[in-house]
Amino acid sequence: MSKIKSLFESGRFKSAFIPYFTLGDPNYNDSIEFGKTILDNGADILELGIPFSDPVADGPVIQRAAARSLKNRFSFDEIFRVTKAIHDHKPETPLVYLTYFNPIYHCGITKFLDRAKESGIVGLVIPDLPFDTEESETLFRELKVRDMDLIHLVTPASEKKRIQALSKTSSGFIYYVTSFGVTGERREFSVDLKERIKFLKDTIQLPICAGFGISTPDQANQISQYADGIIIGSAIQRVIEENGSDKTKTVTALADYISKIRASIS
Amino acid sequence: MGKNLPGYFGEFGGRYSPEILTEALEELESTYHKLKKSKKFKKELEYYLKNYVGRPSPLTYAERLTKLWGGARIWLKREDLNHTGAHKINNAIGQALIARFMGKKRIIAETGAGQHGLATATVGAMFGMETVVYMGAVDVERQNLNAKKIEMLGAKILPVTAGEATLKEATSEAMRDWALNVSTTHYIVGSAIGPHPFPMIVRDFQSFIGSEARSEFKKRNKKLPNAIVACVGGGSNSIGMFHAFLKDKQVAIYGAEAGGLGPKPGEHSATLTYGKTGFLHGTKTLIIQDEFGQIVPAHSVSAGLDYPGVGPEHAYLSQTGRVDYRMVTDEQALDSFLEVTRVEGIIPALETAHAFHVARDVAKDLGKKKDLVICLSGRGDKDVTEVLRLLGERK
Ligand SMILES: Cc1ncc(COP(=O)(O)O)c(C=O)c1O
Repeated sequence: MSKIKSLFESGRFKSAFIPYFTLGDPNYNDSIEFGKTILDNGADILELGIPFSDPVADGPVIQRAAARSLKNRFSFDEIFRVTKAIHDHKPETPLVYLTYFNPIYHCGITKFLDRAKESGIVGLVIPDLPFDTEESETLFRELKVRDMDLIHLVTPASEKKRIQALSKTSSGFIYYVTSFGVTGERREFSVDLKERIKFLKDTIQLPICAGFGISTPDQANQISQYADGIIIGSAIQRVIEENGSDKTKTVTALADYISKIRASIS
Repeated sequence: MGKNLPGYFGEFGGRYSPEILTEALEELESTYHKLKKSKKFKKELEYYLKNYVGRPSPLTYAERLTKLWGGARIWLKREDLNHTGAHKINNAIGQALIARFMGKKRIIAETGAGQHGLATATVGAMFGMETVVYMGAVDVERQNLNAKKIEMLGAKILPVTAGEATLKEATSEAMRDWALNVSTTHYIVGSAIGPHPFPMIVRDFQSFIGSEARSEFKKRNKKLPNAIVACVGGGSNSIGMFHAFLKDKQVAIYGAEAGGLGPKPGEHSATLTYGKTGFLHGTKTLIIQDEFGQIVPAHSVSAGLDYPGVGPEHAYLSQTGRVDYRMVTDEQALDSFLEVTRVEGIIPALETAHAFHVARDVAKDLGKKKDLVICLSGRGDKDVTEVLRLLGERK
């Protein structure tokens, strides 16, 4: 059983808290501290972003984070080193990567997966790799061999037929995109969010976690009433953006924010 | 699955865009297939191309260039004479008609040189659609005349400051806008790039270039040309020119891409020469990237060629060897720009000037009594200020 599957089946929480941040912003070693802080304050699963030069599915906050990260010399060695250090701090918490397909493809799928797994990664989210591509099928196969998960995105625009087809090559959980557009904090969500998530739960036998736009404890609390998990990226990245040059301050601010969100969805 | 699906050219192409866009891409694909078969749509498109754009564009025999270069006879397919001054309008009209058919009242576009932005703003004005154009902040500066025209036509320009602030970033930003407004908005992609069905649609709307050139040349010369040349940015004027000739094995085909300042990463936009297979802006194609799969910023003297990717069909034609893609440096393009201007009385776009440089070599190699057709993709009004500035730097 995959690590993510057993986590959701453990019944340890009502709704999982899945924070995201970009590795290497403002530098790789600080990322280790940020990762540890987030783990210590209540992440159930942690999404680590591998920066990509052209993040088309991301809004301005995460775009800027990727750009700041890429000012450091990018290398997979650094990515895996930092990942391993974060993983070693709390090995029981599942780590997943969120990145675009090009860097993975360029690294070589099997080589990338072997090293990711060694570093403690148990799943991948790839916003620009639709499930109905040859590359996605290859990836799914290779992940399965390694007991790792391919977490697909479903959006308010995804039609039933597509959702049914997608369930064949999805595992871990479904990343339900709460609103149109790209990542970023939002005040409102699509009106039928609750119904959509319920429909997904009935159609796909996987936990449904909601993300894109969530930032406040109130929003998290409200959505956790019906979603199996809450994914937060931009709001966390903004904490890093606003304080990142001062590591101690960032760590304090992150601890405060993460624990508030965790408390709001218990 | 994969390579034999529609939307692939060999291993290239496909649909690698965020899930939020998939339904819109599928709607676009099925609408387009329907419209393609519709006599009414065909008539409507032909009506606007003839009466608004000014098609068919002439095929000009370039007597003085032929003499000067001393080789093959030179012919020019005059896309510069289209309304708004470049081939981009062919595609903008076609896609605006699709958008109208789908009931979308807002259109958006990305632009580098500004020609596609101008074309989109123009059809937006003509059809009365709300129009937004994403343009790199650097390009807003160096293609300021077009930026001004776009605004004058009533479209909104949103300058993009991320990254290199050129075409690549403008394209990403347009995709983000589309993801947010996909139910009300059509994204008129400006080159033969992007997720399926865009490379196919853009190619089809640009194919008038090649089919007109082919039949006009044949009518006048009772044969086909020996070679054709076009410049390749994203690859729309070139694929439009090439497509009608792909099956004519006796016609040699050449593409001119931007060699920029030199072969180092970041100095050029020579995707077909230096690119490696990868995924960018929704398509699998050749891309200029580093050893880790990060996209390397492109450079070209011409904003319209300044893109680190290329349409997937070109990647395929390069792999099969059907088209010979060659690099032209900034300096060579500038020289060709001046040469053509003075010898033929035609100021070509800096993009097109790249094609002229390749054409000169090809004409010499072919020798006399052979024929060469160049796609004159657009006129150079937009480049006059920039060329003067560059000439000033040369001194
Ligand atoms: C006159 C002209 N030619 C060529 C291009 C390059 O685009 P493509 O390769 O899509 O024809 C542009 C782009 O702006 C252009 O304005």
